[in-house]
Amino acid sequence: MNSLIRVLVIAFSFLPVLVLAETDGAPRGANEEVQKLKKEALELNRDLFLLEEELLFPSNTQISVFVSMDVGKFFQLDSVKLKIDGKEVADYLYTRRELDALARGGVQRLYIGNVRTGEHELVAFFIGKGPHGRDYKRGATTTVKKGLGPKYVELKIVDHTSDFQPEFEVREW
Amino acid sequence: MPKGALHMLAAVLWLSQTADSLAVSVKPQAVQDLQYGEVLFHFYQQDYFNAITRLMVAQEQDRLPHHRDEAELLLGGMQLSYGLLDEARDRFSRLLDEDSDARVRNRAWYYLARLAYQRGEQHTALDAIARVKKPGDRTVAAETALLDANIHMQLGQNAEAASLLEKARAPKEMQEYLQINRGIALLRAGKLKEGRRILDKVGRTHTENEELLALRDRANLGLGYELIRAGDAAAARQYLNRVRVQSPFVHAALLGAGWADAETGDYRKALGPWLSLLRLGDYEPAVQEAHLAVPYAFSRLGDVRRATYYYERAIDYFDDESRQLQQAIDAVRGDVLLRMLGQVDTTISGGWLNDNAVLKEIPAGRYLVEVLAGDAFQETLKDYRDLGYLQNLLQQSRSNIELYHDMVDTRRQAYEQRAPGIRKRLQENRVGALEQRWRRYQSLVEKQRAHGDPLALANGKELKELERLDSIDARLAKAPHDARLDRLRERARWLRGILYWQVQDDFKARLWNTEKQLRETRTLLDRAGERRRRLTQALESARTGFDGYDERIETVRKRIDSLIPRIAAARSAASENIRRLALKELELRKQRLASYRSQARYALARSYDQLSQQHGEKP
Repeated sequence: MNSLIRVLVIAFSFLPVLVLAETDGAPRGANEEVQKLKKEALELNRDLFLLEEELLFPSNTQISVFVSMDVGKFFQLDSVKLKIDGKEVADYLYTRRELDALARGGVQRLYIGNVRTGEHELVAFFIGKGPHGRDYKRGATTTVKKGLGPKYVELKIVDHTSDFQPEFEVREW
Repeated sequence: MPKGALHMLAAVLWLSQTADSLAVSVKPQAVQDLQYGEVLFHFYQQDYFNAITRLMVAQEQDRLPHHRDEAELLLGGMQLSYGLLDEARDRFSRLLDEDSDARVRNRAWYYLARLAYQRGEQHTALDAIARVKKPGDRTVAAETALLDANIHMQLGQNAEAASLLEKARAPKEMQEYLQINRGIALLRAGKLKEGRRILDKVGRTHTENEELLALRDRANLGLGYELIRAGDAAAARQYLNRVRVQSPFVHAALLGAGWADAETGDYRKALGPWLSLLRLGDYEPAVQEAHLAVPYAFSRLGDVRRATYYYERAIDYFDDESRQLQQAIDAVRGDVLLRMLGQVDTTISGGWLNDNAVLKEIPAGRYLVEVLAGDAFQETLKDYRDLGYLQNLLQQSRSNIELYHDMVDTRRQAYEQRAPGIRKRLQENRVGALEQRWRRYQSLVEKQRAHGDPLALANGKELKELERLDSIDARLAKAPHDARLDRLRERARWLRGILYWQVQDDFKARLWNTEKQLRETRTLLDRAGERRRRLTQALESARTGFDGYDERIETVRKRIDSLIPRIAAARSAASENIRRLALKELELRKQRLASYRSQARYALARSYDQLSQQHGEKP
């Protein structure tokens, strides 16, 4: 190979390594300070979260509604609407990242609010694409009983393999 | 070369693995605690800040009874991803000290190895990975083998790395990652034929997975360069041709393809990919080099005129690029970089890579965008962005502090309004009065059980009938005796007897029923008593509780106030660091351009000489 070409090959080839090596140039102390700040901010955020929950949603009135999905083969979720005692409390449109997170086993807290002790009607509408890509809207109604502790309700989208239809289950925790 | 590029290639392969490999590890679990699922929801979106926060909250509230160990592992893994390396290391070390099961210990050693690997402490990493017992799960086994191999490659033990990957078990979707890494390890170990065979085989299988396609592009590029170095230019061309047109490595592939042709002496063919690079008109290093390579090829073909033309064009191009580079350097010295960084979206946690579109809108910033997209900047940029997110979050939380105080005040006022009424009702002690009545009935029932008078358990209707009979008897007692009244007396006695018989016959059932009702009333009375006790307690402690909230809010406020300036300073230091790195990188590029220019200038002078010799005239 001609010497010029050889020089070019070498010059080009090592370029990425030189760029990579720059990473080590960052001051070490700076990174430690960033770690420290992130740690403190996380602990602070945890305490704020707990404080806010205690102040805004005390356990004797707190109700949380979660959304989960098992496979989601027969139903492609677009949005969920939630009504509690006839009043719309949530209307959530999902992003692709969120849907992916749900499909992988993540559980979304759709709503957190307050209700009095006793029975409450909960209606959820699941809107999206059903089997064969058709527009699909289904509702699920349930009555939940709120006691003294916080109430957790899970709305679960499951595939019903026997009739290739999505099912919407409601589970109280 | 290729050794260097492959070194980078292996690192990139590994980096592309890390985020997903952790995700894969936690995927198969069924969520048994809702809050754990909520953590996963944020984790899968790479929103580590919120995922970590929610996990810490759930732990504090003791809401993860079914996922204790997994939660600790996940927390450590997320801390690792969020850049909290020291925290992650401490957590994993604690998991080893504690009485945890073998699976948790295994994962802890794995993460400790990964941490050391990320820090460049390869011997520590090697020691930690050696302690991972052979995992049963194929995914975990594959992850472990990949990390083990990468550590060995970093230590230059490429043959060992290849051997580890050869033996590793892996699920179908991870096999290609392992094979690509194995091929690279073999190339680095100098086993070109074997490495080539493996990478060749991997390149032939069908996939639509974009990540795998990108990895293949890198592998083909690396293999192509390695083959040029080894003197097998024809084979190199074959692999370089496989790099997809839409690949980000297409520039380097075109440049390499030209070299491969030049190596075989076919300069005309080499001009194909090199001229394509010039047409791309980009500022990539490969394009810059093509500006030298094209006239060089023409000169080798004896076409001095075209060589001269392209050398002149190259000098113009280098001058122009130099000017733009200088503008970029001036901009970095000014405030353009800061303005550019200011556009970074810090309202959401995670997802820095999505911001590139915004960065590209900066005029005269094409060099900066490219420089900032380089690996060297990613960690500092990530810190810069994370700190920006924290700044936003804390400012927002700071503005909520007064709201929290207002909420506590509202509650305090409501308490002041309602407490006297409640206290008054508590003092009336209705529960106490009910308690006394209950005891009276209890004593009555006990007497009945001992020596019962059945009529004591008569119901309201029966008691009324008894009263009527008593009244009839009293009136009949005062009346004279005659046959008609005697029949009435007889009838009254008969009715009394019937009534008495009815009550006595039912006595046991009535006694049982009364006792049952008393027991039920006891439960209700106990509950009422407990509520009264709690209410009294709550009433007394409410005032202290409000003060407690005030104290907590104030503590939080102080912590926010202390963090805000420190975060601002750290962010400013991060931006300064970015600026320093950017300047260094831009200066380096400028020096490289200057070197290219002087090579072009020298070659051009020679071309002029050749031309003048051909035509007997001076340029």
